[in-house]
Amino acid sequence: MKKLRYFIIIILLFVSLVGCAETKILERIGVTTLVGYDLGDDEMVDTTAIIRQVSPEFQSRVEIITTKDKTSKGTRIKANLRSSKKIQIGQMRIVLFGDDVAKDGLRYYTETLLENPAVSNSLFMAVVEGRTQPLLEYKYENIEDIGQHIFKLVEQNITNEHLISSTLHEVAHDYDSIGMDMSMPILKRDKEVIAITDVALFKRDKMVGKLSVNDSFYLKLVRNNFQSGMLETVLTKDDLTSSLMKNSPDGIPLVFDTVRTVRDVKLINQKTPEFDLHIKMNARLLEIKSDINTGDPKQIAALEKAIKKNLTREISRVIAYCQEVDSDVFGFGEVYRSSVRNSNLTHEKWHEMYKEMKVNVKIDFTIIRNGIFE
Amino acid sequence: MFKNKFKLSLSKKQSKVESDRDGNEPKENMIPSATNSFIQAIKDATHNPSDLIVKSIPPNLTLIFIENLVDERTLNDHILNDLYKKPSESPELMKSLLSIPLLNISNLLDDALSSMMTGTVIIHIDGYSQVVLANIATRETRSLSAPENESQVIGSQVGFNESLSTNVSLVRRYIMNPDLCIEKTKIGKRTNTSVSLLFMKGIASEEMVNTLRQRINSIDIDAIIDSAALAEMIDDNSLSIFPQMLLTERTDKFCDGLMNGKLGVLVDGSSMAIICPQSFIEFFQSREDQNLRWQIASFLRILRFSAIFLSVYLTPLYVAALTFHYEVIPQAFLVPLSESRALVPFPPVFEALLLEFIIELLREAGARLPTKIGQTIGIVGGIVIGTAAVQAGITSNILIIIIALSALASFTSPSYMMGNVIRIIRFPIIILAGFWGFYGIMLAFCFILIHLLRQSSLGTPYTAPFYPPRLKDWRDSIIRAPFSYTSKRPTSSRPVDDEKSNPEPVNPEKS
Repeated sequence: MKKLRYFIIIILLFVSLVGCAETKILERIGVTTLVGYDLGDDEMVDTTAIIRQVSPEFQSRVEIITTKDKTSKGTRIKANLRSSKKIQIGQMRIVLFGDDVAKDGLRYYTETLLENPAVSNSLFMAVVEGRTQPLLEYKYENIEDIGQHIFKLVEQNITNEHLISSTLHEVAHDYDSIGMDMSMPILKRDKEVIAITDVALFKRDKMVGKLSVNDSFYLKLVRNNFQSGMLETVLTKDDLTSSLMKNSPDGIPLVFDTVRTVRDVKLINQKTPEFDLHIKMNARLLEIKSDINTGDPKQIAALEKAIKKNLTREISRVIAYCQEVDSDVFGFGEVYRSSVRNSNLTHEKWHEMYKEMKVNVKIDFTIIRNGIFE
Repeated sequence: MFKNKFKLSLSKKQSKVESDRDGNEPKENMIPSATNSFIQAIKDATHNPSDLIVKSIPPNLTLIFIENLVDERTLNDHILNDLYKKPSESPELMKSLLSIPLLNISNLLDDALSSMMTGTVIIHIDGYSQVVLANIATRETRSLSAPENESQVIGSQVGFNESLSTNVSLVRRYIMNPDLCIEKTKIGKRTNTSVSLLFMKGIASEEMVNTLRQRINSIDIDAIIDSAALAEMIDDNSLSIFPQMLLTERTDKFCDGLMNGKLGVLVDGSSMAIICPQSFIEFFQSREDQNLRWQIASFLRILRFSAIFLSVYLTPLYVAALTFHYEVIPQAFLVPLSESRALVPFPPVFEALLLEFIIELLREAGARLPTKIGQTIGIVGGIVIGTAAVQAGITSNILIIIIALSALASFTSPSYMMGNVIRIIRFPIIILAGFWGFYGIMLAFCFILIHLLRQSSLGTPYTAPFYPPRLKDWRDSIIRAPFSYTSKRPTSSRPVDDEKSNPEPVNPEKS
């Protein structure tokens, strides 16, 4: 009987503790799906939040609230003052930064996001050319929910492996790991359309340069193995052998997609870091604007050789550019750190070495399929 | 703890009663030799009921019986006819004379009385302190019918009925084996209900038989009307919400259990038989699984097990996600969910409890009402209340789907008893989910799991074959492996002989 009495007391205690759990009933909260940060005057932060509100008329609408304050949390307090519902950020899917913020440094933003357990680590991060506020506040004709639209846009392109994935988790990893820098897509409004135009390159948390979306293919190629992704390139005169030159005097535009790539990076010199980058690539020829007979093995072999030459040149160019802006988005530093014992590498040390770095690019390119178009 | 005390007090009382009986003078129990005093004694003992018939046959015979309990035709043809023709002088002579299979001679009044209550004619000869007891009881039972509460598509369609002797004969027809042991006892001091313990000698564990026999015999109670009450009294933990013994009205399921080394109990007047030991997982196995191809049977079993989880956790998950964890709702689902909730004035936990309550009301009303009206109730409840509630803005239509789905899932359990449990344990979990969200659900899950692990059925672990792990028995648990892989009996009933079949292929040409 004594046991039973204790049991009842414990149950009653449990029931009386109910007041402690904070409820967030779905239709009584404002669900933030997107947040954009801009630099304001006097070191203030301008926060633009896309908040999905559910109104009793069975229609959900999107509300855009812009607030100014010194911290991002401060802006949330202010946003609450303007909203009829408690603003929650647990459903946030994408965070945008104006390029002034990106150039100023993102460290503080990523850290507050990481510290909040309600925020998903799989949210995407992107940079906006110019300020985010006008991009978000513009009344698009065909876009109903801009937060959802931008999220789908970025997600679609990342899952199709056109871009380097820039989730909060990966960005934070790249930021914290020595010898690797982060990168994010850059969005831009072009009249009624929002498009991904470039890829931002960072040195630590500051944006230092950008690559075109087409170049981001090479970036991905060097950075990791991947299974899909399409590239359009133009084979120029230098690449082509005389036999292929006959019919196309200016160069051959072609599109291929990768079926599989295997990437291998080896450090061969420790003093002034020198790497052997070996990429094996199986591809599928999708489109070629030329009279080349793709059924002829000799022609294909010549084409492979030409593409190889072209790819090597392009990759070297991209690496050289990244070295110029001092952003190691490829993660060569990681390879260096893992291959050299007691290297005691720091961010500063690596960035000094990075400028001197040499990369020998070697590519095996095989066309394993052609003539099958989707 | 509770139960032990209860039993202790019962057994004390019993021994007291026995000693009372022993203390009485033996003469009182003897049958008087004089006809008049014999009739008086019977009338006194039975309080002279209106259906007591006393018939004298000259010169010296007296027949006493209870109207309607005895078969009149047999009485006329085989007793009265013979006795009129050849009046007998002594009970022994009469016993050899009467052409009735069940004849006894007794000199005890109690004996005579109790057998009269089961349909026996007492034949007294003046001057003898012995009577002849001729059992010609009527067999008034419902004819055999398909088991209504546990129907199955493929398989036999005969269920137990309310007569113990019919039920025993049904079992005998399935298992034509002299090793089928049937032990009959009487329980219920005032009802004198016959209870039979059935088991297969050579398969069932002796120890278990002893345990069950002891449990049945130690019951001291006034009346046993149905086997369900008996099951609750003899199971390991009467306080638990989970039944530890299976109640079934399927004859084939009962015989299957016996052949797997389990013990069966049949109660007179009850169409439900008890099977034990029974593990938790076996409550969700249907006898039909043995009749279907193993792939289909396995699929159906997996379906049933997922239905348990669906039924128990779907509504609490809805409540928890909408009250606390909006983060986990997929974005595509966010809009429809919040839109359907927009008009609802209650918090999700209240909304869910309300709807669950309505569903339970419908079920209860459907079960109590006559079958024809029951269907109407289903339509009224399902369509009218459901759509009206959504239109009135009391509930969200997504919750209606969820509640209906979980109610439907709970009815897939082959055992009605277990289905009830599945439906009832949802309520505390919903409340916990409303208090603490996923944390509350986890708490409830752990609580239930710990409780299940602590239970036993006739001393065998309730969660077998998963804990303790009996890897070989997994072949016949969530899936049903082909018969060639399940040639051993399940170990949970500790069978004496565990060989069920020869795993060699029947058709050697094929392999």
